[in-house]
Amino acid sequence: MKLSCLQENLSRGLAIVGRAVSLRSVLPVLHNILLATDQSQLKLSATDLSTCITCWLGAKIKEEGATTVPARLLVDFVNSLPPEQIDLELVTRTQTLHLKCARTEANIKVIDAQEFPLIPTGIEDRKITLQPDALRQMIEQVTLAAATDESRPILTGALADFQEEKLTLAAADGFRLSVRSAPLSEPVPEPMKVIIPARALQEVGRVAAEEGEPVEMTIPSARNQVLFHLAGGALGGPIEVVSQLIEGNFPDYKQIIPTSYNTRTVVDSKEFLRAAKIALLFARDAANIVRLQMTPGEGEPGSLTLAATAAEVGDNVGQIDATIEGQAMEIAFNGRYLIDILNAIDSAQVALETSTPSSPGVFRPVGDEDFVHVIMPMHISR
Amino acid sequence: MPIRILSPEVVSKIAAGEVIERPASVVKELIENSIDAGASEIKVEVRQGGRRLIRVIDDGRGIPAEEVELAFERYSTSKLKDAEDLYRIATLGFRGEALPSIAAVSKVTMVTRTKEQEIGVLLRLEGGKVIKRQKKGALRGTVVSVEDLFFNTPARLKFLRKESTEARHISDLVTRYALAYPSMRFSLLSEGRTLFRSTGSGSLYDVLIEVYGLETARQMLEIAPLQEPVPSQRDPKGQGSRPKGIPREGMREEAEGLKISGYVGAPSLHRASGRYLTILINGRWVRDQLLGYAIKEAYHTLLPKGRYPVAVVRVALSPQEVDINVHPAKAEVRFRRSGEVFAAVQKAVRHTLKGAPIPVVAPPRWTPEPRLPTSLRPSPGQMALEVQRTEEIAPSKNIPPLRVLGQLGLTYIIAEGPEGMYLIDQHAAHERVLYERLLGERAKMAVSSQSLLEPLSLDLSPEEAAIVEENLDTLRSWGFDLEPFGGQTYLLRAVPAILKEGDLSQAMREVIDEASRQAGRWEEEFVISLACHGAVRAGQTMSEGEMRELVRQLEKTNSPRTCPHGRPTMIHLSAEQLQKEFGRS
Repeated sequence: MKLSCLQENLSRGLAIVGRAVSLRSVLPVLHNILLATDQSQLKLSATDLSTCITCWLGAKIKEEGATTVPARLLVDFVNSLPPEQIDLELVTRTQTLHLKCARTEANIKVIDAQEFPLIPTGIEDRKITLQPDALRQMIEQVTLAAATDESRPILTGALADFQEEKLTLAAADGFRLSVRSAPLSEPVPEPMKVIIPARALQEVGRVAAEEGEPVEMTIPSARNQVLFHLAGGALGGPIEVVSQLIEGNFPDYKQIIPTSYNTRTVVDSKEFLRAAKIALLFARDAANIVRLQMTPGEGEPGSLTLAATAAEVGDNVGQIDATIEGQAMEIAFNGRYLIDILNAIDSAQVALETSTPSSPGVFRPVGDEDFVHVIMPMHISR
Repeated sequence: MPIRILSPEVVSKIAAGEVIERPASVVKELIENSIDAGASEIKVEVRQGGRRLIRVIDDGRGIPAEEVELAFERYSTSKLKDAEDLYRIATLGFRGEALPSIAAVSKVTMVTRTKEQEIGVLLRLEGGKVIKRQKKGALRGTVVSVEDLFFNTPARLKFLRKESTEARHISDLVTRYALAYPSMRFSLLSEGRTLFRSTGSGSLYDVLIEVYGLETARQMLEIAPLQEPVPSQRDPKGQGSRPKGIPREGMREEAEGLKISGYVGAPSLHRASGRYLTILINGRWVRDQLLGYAIKEAYHTLLPKGRYPVAVVRVALSPQEVDINVHPAKAEVRFRRSGEVFAAVQKAVRHTLKGAPIPVVAPPRWTPEPRLPTSLRPSPGQMALEVQRTEEIAPSKNIPPLRVLGQLGLTYIIAEGPEGMYLIDQHAAHERVLYERLLGERAKMAVSSQSLLEPLSLDLSPEEAAIVEENLDTLRSWGFDLEPFGGQTYLLRAVPAILKEGDLSQAMREVIDEASRQAGRWEEEFVISLACHGAVRAGQTMSEGEMRELVRQLEKTNSPRTCPHGRPTMIHLSAEQLQKEFGRS
């Protein structure tokens, strides 16, 4: 293998695929990034066996070939180089990759490409096109509710539910639920539901945000996988993220979302977030419990009060203006959850719909009908 | 007082006291009679934990009308003829003490009919005296109703535990007999509610599902026959090709008629208490220390410390080889060749475990720690340096302000204080913090709990269900919002706010199990266990911020030096020690 490419492109490509490198794997080859020539481009791949990211970048190929290089060293080395042309050459006899850029040279020990897992690429099947900005926001808002511990694997994923001209993404960790839908540019021929690991989706969201190109999603009928394909602009080649799907039945999220409420509180999202952050400073010594009090105004604006108390620390009370429809009430939430959702809302105002102190609180960004977030309240046992 | 011969009444009450200790003993004696009578279906009904009523209905042979009174005479039995028979007992009962003992301390009504007789007989006794006898139409078999147990022995009555505790003992007993006799249909009703039912399909695996639930039964391995050198002795179908997970009644044969069969839990299946170990010798449930030890030994190094296996081990051997007549309630036995039995059981279990599937990689599990006396020092040689406990250096209650330096082995926090270096066990420290926080919240009636998005449905074993029922209010006050959902199923709607990560239903079960195993006050043990489950585990990465936060919180606790189990939370290496070790002084 012998080729030349630009330092900027290689550095960028490595940053994209580098996230999939599995640092905890016992398989040494998984700590490596695969470099391979592919027609007139350089292909980079990394995988942790569950998610795999591949990208192609423009290069001048002099000799075909493939090898794998330790990710950390390669990334750090390439990032330190000046923005000039890099020449790469694999010396098969010594199993080293020779790199040369301006006046710097290096030899890096490699592991044979044969040992790298086979990466599925270019799967041809029905494609669904998604807009990158909408997808990024959707992923961010939904995956925050996915579980991070593996005791119920299904909850570490997000359900992608395709119905005619709509995609709905949902995730829940047992205490909260995020559901967001987005229109599809063309209807799917038949309804389809798959569960995609939240971690893989987060990678897709990250890449989509950077690239700004439409994302094509393919779910091959025969395989238990999903493939996201981004045309990729700056690199000169496409980017692909392939992930294993999670098998099983996702909880029926629709029946969890309450259909009615007694109190609807509309507040400024930023102010709410700031008040929640302050309350958490005190709440973190008391199981993160933050108490919310909704007081409707008579003739004038009402208010939302956030309070937290920790026996050993102290307490705090914060008040923000609110438009309240319905009766006064009190409810308590985990402050951490409040901050997570308020951070992910872009709209200026957010509506909180509540019924009783023990029934779920529903958060909706004002002016955005497509997103719903549900948080289960906390309460004090007596 | 002059010496005199006791009246027969007093004698019978004293004797009854040895056999009938609590309601469960009555159930045991009656079930054994039913089994000995060749019943295929045994129904047990209790009210008020057996204090009001215990009724055992069977479809066995019944008692001929003319022998019914005789059955209530002391030392009368149909199961034994002469002393010789004692050495080859094949029935569960033989001493002829059960019915008279029961009758002596309760009001008993027996209705029985044999196949040969057209009409049955009803006999009623109170305090051992017949007060009524009449002809009565009845189904074939025997119905014994025991009412007002211990009505004439108030001392014994006083020592009975809570109704739900007694009911739990009864339920435990019935399920053990169902395990011993899979081909008999057992059912247990308490206050008219079915607590347990076995199908009588003849398959032990089916009973395991009923007793422990499908999830647990799936993780049980059938005791496998040893690889015999002579192929002709093996099952013609070939053991090796049998698909995994499909149960089959297995038997392992030994030289002197010793057969060991049953199911043992895979090493990944373990519980916080030894109650899940059932040893059956010739169909008799015994609490044999020796065999219990043999089974635990077979799991040696396979189970986490302080955990117990789930197993049902059936030992069949010639009646001459075993003496059952050791204990009044026959709960203990003696073997003629105990060494051989021990070795055979251990070998059979060990051999089965060797074939256990490799456990699925699970997230780091919480493991309980053994309780250590506070004075226990870390053993020398654990570290190259002689490390002294902080307690000995600074006997003051509070710990000095500490600066976190890093994490060691994902288990200990390294911190610097004014007097040198401190190593803090992250789990023990967090446990202490949570424990005191929980107690503080409880004192103010303010335990916070987090509701679940969707209730989790818990299928409990009859025993677990009894514990939950008994302590439902306590569990609620600590933040477990549980709701009975029929039978042994409960819906978990909220959990204590400190339990966030991991498998919540598993955590709840372990906390209950843990608490029931310890001798102390249930609630106290429960809180310790709850704190332990909520705490960060060893092996978990902690960010610097998290470590600082934990140390800050530990500083604020009342007894920061030990975890609620009594283990030290930190060890100290003084500046002087460091100087000495580096030869600086």
